[in-house]
Amino acid sequence: MDAKNLKKYEKEMNTCIRCAYCFEECPVIEQKGWDTSGARGKITLSYGLLSGELEPTQSIADNLFQCTLCRNCESKCPSGVEVCDIILSARADLVENGFANDTHKYVIKNIKESGNIYGDTEAIPPVQDGDVPLFIGCQYLSRPNKTKKFIKILEKLGINVKVGEEICCGFPMDVLGFKDDLEKHKEQFKKLFPHKDAITFCPTCTVFLKEGHDVNAKHILQVILDKLPEVNLDMKVTFHDPCDFSRGLKIIDEPRLILEKLGVKVVEMKNNKGNSSCCGGGGGILMSDSELSDDIAMKRIQQAIDTGADIIITSCPTCETTLKKAAAATNERDGTNIVVRNIEDIIWKGLKQ
Amino acid sequence: MAELNIDKLIEIVGETNVSDDIADLYVYSSDASVHQAMPSVVVRPGRIEEVQDIVKYANQNKIPVIARGAGSGMSGHTVPIDGGIVLDMKRMNRILEIRPEDLLCKVEPGVINDELNRALKPHGFFFAPMPSSGMICTIGGMIGTNASGNRAVKYGATRDVVLGLKVILANGDLVTLGTNTKTDASGYQLARLIVGSEGTLGIVVEATLLLSPLPKFKAMAVANFDKLEDAGNAISKVMASGITPSMVELMDNVAITAVNKALDLGLPDVSAIVIFECDGMVKEAVDYELNAITKICEEHNGAGIKVTDDPGEMARIYEGRKKLFPSLSRFGDGLVSTSLADDMAVPVSKIAVAVHEIHEIAKRNNVVMSAYGHCGSGLIHTKILMDPTKESQWEDAKNAVKETYEFVHSIGGTTSGEHGIALSKAPAMKEERKDSLDMMRAIKKALDPNNILNPHKLMDAPDDWASATGLRYNVRGGQ
Repeated sequence: MDAKNLKKYEKEMNTCIRCAYCFEECPVIEQKGWDTSGARGKITLSYGLLSGELEPTQSIADNLFQCTLCRNCESKCPSGVEVCDIILSARADLVENGFANDTHKYVIKNIKESGNIYGDTEAIPPVQDGDVPLFIGCQYLSRPNKTKKFIKILEKLGINVKVGEEICCGFPMDVLGFKDDLEKHKEQFKKLFPHKDAITFCPTCTVFLKEGHDVNAKHILQVILDKLPEVNLDMKVTFHDPCDFSRGLKIIDEPRLILEKLGVKVVEMKNNKGNSSCCGGGGGILMSDSELSDDIAMKRIQQAIDTGADIIITSCPTCETTLKKAAAATNERDGTNIVVRNIEDIIWKGLKQ
Repeated sequence: MAELNIDKLIEIVGETNVSDDIADLYVYSSDASVHQAMPSVVVRPGRIEEVQDIVKYANQNKIPVIARGAGSGMSGHTVPIDGGIVLDMKRMNRILEIRPEDLLCKVEPGVINDELNRALKPHGFFFAPMPSSGMICTIGGMIGTNASGNRAVKYGATRDVVLGLKVILANGDLVTLGTNTKTDASGYQLARLIVGSEGTLGIVVEATLLLSPLPKFKAMAVANFDKLEDAGNAISKVMASGITPSMVELMDNVAITAVNKALDLGLPDVSAIVIFECDGMVKEAVDYELNAITKICEEHNGAGIKVTDDPGEMARIYEGRKKLFPSLSRFGDGLVSTSLADDMAVPVSKIAVAVHEIHEIAKRNNVVMSAYGHCGSGLIHTKILMDPTKESQWEDAKNAVKETYEFVHSIGGTTSGEHGIALSKAPAMKEERKDSLDMMRAIKKALDPNNILNPHKLMDAPDDWASATGLRYNVRGGQ
């Protein structure tokens, strides 16, 4: 196989001394159990594809796509190996060699045809003039009520955002292995969103605007922290750190400080902050392996229940989706009563008080 | 070897726990060593009876069986040199009993070291052997290699804390070895024989482990040395002074550079840093020991001596040491860390001379070698930093490994302190233990006449480690 994307990572893959420290709390190996499922296994497979010892097969592709890209392995790796970049390169090589996943292809087709991951032609940004460019992202564009609430929060705190036409940031093309499509998409994106700064709602879009488009993107929680008034909602919750938040953007304190200002007590889960567990929604597995995604989310919900809190707050639309599904299943199975809410609901509630 | 009957294995453990898929075979063909060889199948048993049935089947058909935990061994222990069945033991991960009143616990082999310690903590006890890989390494793997870790200097290695074992022999029989007591004079100490046998004599399916009460007080002293000799002499003096530190860790300059690059710890650029830890139930006793250590370090030109009993600070210091081995790959100069000459032990008074010679050997052979380890027990770890894609570097590495072990043996040291022998250290061990090889082979033959249990390791490993299996690196020509 022509492993043109993996080639530049040969040294990085040799840097991996295969110590297996990445096994610790990897959400996929926890569920699957096989060494093949962990980061070391994925690097080993990538190395085999690059060296030519392995010819690509569907099972190799399946293993390399069974990763939530939660970056937990990177945070555990004492050699600082760029695990996610290696996996993404392997995925790109596999896609170029005919191993694209069908559901992933469908998402990419949607983006190319409609500019939106869902192919949602009614997902139109509420265009308005303002001071700071806002990037909404596909998931919130398809949740117009949440978007309105976010914009109202910003306005109430004196931030007037400028909303224009936008298309998907292109992150799915990157993580699902469609590198060539991504390069074309980036050009189109730049034309519609030529800004150097932006406020964002979605942690994943924030990461990709920064890393993929060189935009100085700031998540809404970073922007509003100092402007929020202190109120007392008198609630007890636990907070789920989205991977792109705590490990991607290193945003750990802001949501907790915001909740503290709102009079919300946060009780931490066993895995929290930089060591947070994944919700199971990342890396494309929500689309291609929903069973694995559900299992990972159920484990996270159990951690939330173990805190004694009835509400789990998060700040990512994907985490919200996976955790809500897992919470419903857990509540039905165990008779528990855990509720998942997005942080914007709590902030809005606080601002109305 | 007869042709494998996958259906028979599926019948024993179920379809989801058997794989002969190329992706799994390739991943299970290597571990943290330089070696690589493909298994025929990977099987994940969950119960003792399943292990028995698999081994019985393998014995009848003369198929190799290689037990594997996390696959974090550095010498090729779980690399199936003759193919066969790799048994991934991680599903057998139950803590069966915790009996604080008897100072023991019973566990399955797939239990992870740190998880066991988390479970023991509420009882006020801990399992003393703590390898740096404690967050992922399994008790079964630790038993296989007689792992020790940094607190072995006070609490002993795995062999010292295994009271009893349940083992599946090569014919599939389940035997109970050892007992539940700390003292045992009832015949041959067969449980102790199994510890460190690297899966060549039987497959451990349950272990009875001795527990230690958690110390109430801990403190650390960290000393910097401009001369390796001073560091070595200070360690030797401390160990001979009647003090029993709970940790004595040395890091040489190569190690310091790598840890600083990888973890940004800002350690001083000196020849050696030595970390001492003392623990106990009485604060004054811990303080007394640490004061005495500080004095000895000062007498041996130790500088910048920092003493702390702050748990956060101690954890930060320990973290750097714990992650040292993988950090070495960030040393720089286009070199990466390979698990070669990774482990040895020398008499405590010879640490400085050994570390000095290791650096000379590295220079002579165009590689970089770091020396660090649990030096209170004479244990030194090295790694060879090289460009593994260049054929010429493997020749350099071969020479460096040979010279290192020749020197270690010449000063009365031994080939492995805690990582075990397997493939890459076998030539050195065979040289060192010439007189024991026939006895080892006789034991192996008696217990495993068909040579199915992790065959061709230890005394039966090939004489040239570099060609014993394929190398897991993409080696090309060039200088």
